[in-house]
Amino acid sequence: MTIKNGWNFNWKQELDNNSREVFKLTITNNPSIIQGLLSFTIKPDHLYMNLLESAPFNLGHKKLYDGVPGNLVAYACKVSFQNGFEGFVSFTAKTKLIEHYEKTLGAYHFGNQLMIIQPIIAQQLVNKYFKT
Amino acid sequence: MGHIKEPDGVDLVIKSRPLTKEEEIAISNYIRAYKAKHSIKKSQSKRATSKTRKVADPLMKK
Repeated sequence: MTIKNGWNFNWKQELDNNSREVFKLTITNNPSIIQGLLSFTIKPDHLYMNLLESAPFNLGHKKLYDGVPGNLVAYACKVSFQNGFEGFVSFTAKTKLIEHYEKTLGAYHFGNQLMIIQPIIAQQLVNKYFKT
Repeated sequence: MGHIKEPDGVDLVIKSRPLTKEEEIAISNYIRAYKAKHSIKKSQSKRATSKTRKVADPLMKK
């Protein structure tokens, strides 16, 4: 998961940062292939997503799997609930992606590129991905 | 229930910048206000439910 391998972010640096938690998404029976990565920081009252990225082979028109970002965001919401934050998650978005986050994830645009996932939406995401 | 697909031609990536102190405070204030507003709504709906039960009980006895 280095930039040389086609990843956009320096995940080694994320792993070395003790204030950040890093999680990988894999598929059942194939834990060695990383489908996507997520880094977040636990704030006093919510969870702040620092980085989220799909594997290079899950990008573009020829991606292997759809829905990697949604799955990782749902996991962030789940951890938020587990920490007693009622599902609150925030992150900053590139201007051109704000509308997509509103439409696809239901995130609330707080202003100044800040996005917030509210409890109702967080619960829906968790139910969608983690309810068995 | 289907999974969330990325929009056509768009790869959803998050690269957040560090929050400023002001932004952290603003988010905390928002969360506090949201919780306060929704806890009021919850307690109001509970009260409404208990009122309905009181009315319904005597009717059922008849």
